[in-house]
Amino acid sequence: MLSSIVNGLINGTIYGLVAIGLVLVYKGARVFNFAQGEFGTVAVFVAWILNTDPPGLPMWLAILAGLAAATMFGLLVERLVVRPLSTSPGVNLLVATAGVAIAAISIQLLLGEAEARVLNPLVAGEGITVAGIPVRPQQMIMIGMLGVVALFLYLFFTRTSVGLAVLATSQDPLATNLSGINTKRISALVWGMAALLGGVAGLLQGPVTVFFPGFMTATVLLPAFTGAVLGGMTSLPGAFVGGLLVGVAQDVGSQVIPEAVTGSAELTVFALLLLVLLIRPQGLLGKEA
Amino acid sequence: MAATAVTPGTRVGRLSVPGISARVAAAGIIALAVFLLPLFLEEFQNNQITRAPVYAIIGLSMNVLMGHLGQISLGHQAFVGLGAFVSGFVATELGLSFYLAMPIAGLFGAFSAFLLGLVALRLRGLYLALITLAYGAVAEESLFNIRALTRGGEGMPAPRPAEFQSDRAYLYLSLIVLILVLVIDWRLVKSKAGRAILAIRHDERVAATMGVNVTFYKTLAFMISGFLAGMAGSLFAHWQQTVVSNDFVLDVALTWVFMTVVGGLGSRAGVVIGASFFALFPFIMEALPLIPDTWHDDVPRWVPLIGAGLLLTTLILYPGGIGQQLLPVRRWLAGGPFREHKKDRKRKKQKAVEPTAPVPQELVHPPAEELPTEEAPAPAADRATVQDGPPAEPPPEAAAGDGQPLGTPKRGLLRRGFRRKGA
Repeated sequence: MLSSIVNGLINGTIYGLVAIGLVLVYKGARVFNFAQGEFGTVAVFVAWILNTDPPGLPMWLAILAGLAAATMFGLLVERLVVRPLSTSPGVNLLVATAGVAIAAISIQLLLGEAEARVLNPLVAGEGITVAGIPVRPQQMIMIGMLGVVALFLYLFFTRTSVGLAVLATSQDPLATNLSGINTKRISALVWGMAALLGGVAGLLQGPVTVFFPGFMTATVLLPAFTGAVLGGMTSLPGAFVGGLLVGVAQDVGSQVIPEAVTGSAELTVFALLLLVLLIRPQGLLGKEA
Repeated sequence: MAATAVTPGTRVGRLSVPGISARVAAAGIIALAVFLLPLFLEEFQNNQITRAPVYAIIGLSMNVLMGHLGQISLGHQAFVGLGAFVSGFVATELGLSFYLAMPIAGLFGAFSAFLLGLVALRLRGLYLALITLAYGAVAEESLFNIRALTRGGEGMPAPRPAEFQSDRAYLYLSLIVLILVLVIDWRLVKSKAGRAILAIRHDERVAATMGVNVTFYKTLAFMISGFLAGMAGSLFAHWQQTVVSNDFVLDVALTWVFMTVVGGLGSRAGVVIGASFFALFPFIMEALPLIPDTWHDDVPRWVPLIGAGLLLTTLILYPGGIGQQLLPVRRWLAGGPFREHKKDRKRKKQKAVEPTAPVPQELVHPPAEELPTEEAPAPAADRATVQDGPPAEPPPEAAAGDGQPLGTPKRGLLRRGFRRKGA
């Protein structure tokens, strides 16, 4: 039981990180961002290309370049796709983010083939063992990062005037604009931050598992969405907790569901999503924000 | 195709005989071209082309959801796949006929849509997208791995009906089913349920205020979408003759979303053309003599990028999709003038502002060749004259369905109502 919780928490950190990015975009732009996973994959691919031999840059430099690439990608998406669609119905924007994700994945496929690769970790080594589960240094960095990011964003939204401006923009762009806030800049800020966060998540996940074109969208996006909904879709601490809970639930599910039934991870996520929307659609910590 | 059907007797009087014959001839040529094409093609080409009507039915199923209701499903591969496997199961294991298997497959699609809709459609917002995404993943990983239903990797056989064994005959069967689905969709939009669904897309809260049972009609629309998807799955199954779960993955579901948007949300003809394009362009690209041989292997890798590019350009530059481009043709075929939509929109705006003072009747009425939508209420201009002009005698034609010009199709009923109040 304890090992299951530890294992679940470790796997859940990546869900929490991506879920925080999803909540950030939802708070700022009221859209389910299906391209959030791709911000991470882009960062991983750029870092991998720079780290492998012809350029052969050191890992920390490659990671910085990856983060810069992810942020640039996020800003480009905001300028070219999100802003022109800001007045169109929600369905259009949702489909557009899915289109961005598919475009990014197909470009990765054209450049990098459908191969599974491993990114070099930032810190190599054995790590420690908790309740019989080995925890690698990379995973410890990840857990620390999740806490820092959640705290930083929480303070950003509750203590700073820019955070307040972001919330105001999502609630009433016209009135916010009239009060002298440049809503276009706010929108760019939100998407840039979300993309940076997605890049951090991808670069942390890349060395833990293998990566392939679209791996974040294929393996992480749906559990992360479930975590965000579980936390209330507008709550950053909620996304943090929700992501971890999804990780634990998946681990428990893999032991409870008999082996004859395939796809226990997907079944658990589906059941969890149904339960939350049925019983408590506002989530654990959700309130209008 | 739907456009050709709309020529009730009252309107024919407005058109000259050459005008009518030109329109009938044009519609006839289009219909003949579609129905005669299979006769001139090889069997394997007919087999490939069958993908177009199947995708068109899937596109119409997505259109009920996205175009009419304003919700979105990212897990349609689950509905289509379920329909395909159920159809194969009914035909092979139970030994029933194809004509029974197809409606059963549709019912399974509708039932699973009903269950998901119960949860996701009570909420405001696009939670259906998340639920269907999760459902699609479950279908791929768990449902389609149940050996009793799918026979694992070797696939479930799905025999074609005896009358439609050849590829050419099956293509005709698919076209017939497509026409059936087009008629269903056409009648749906015209019904009370159709109006309620369009009102919900426009504004859920306003619709609820007007007495529309929002959750009921949302679930109904999703069930119709699921039914059509299940039927399309059945058609897909017996076209392939073996159902394999690899055919029903998320990428395919996203392609279906994209082709519906590119076709034009809410436009039947646009969706059919968009779906046919997405179904056939990899096949046509490979067959093109222009592309060098060495590129042929690369074509499948470019397909998703082209699809996503088309989607984004459509959404940003031309959100009405192919349907919007087709509008002048569609309107002309239905008996109206051939005119570009932008000009028309301007005219309409002027009209809405003008008639504050009593205007001579001939000016108020739309010019003779300008034909109304099938469903529009009396235009603002008539209202104004009826109120201002003392004789207060409604012109006889007004009762016969005189409406706004076809400038803004599918804009929903509520907005029109509001504008009338303001005018």
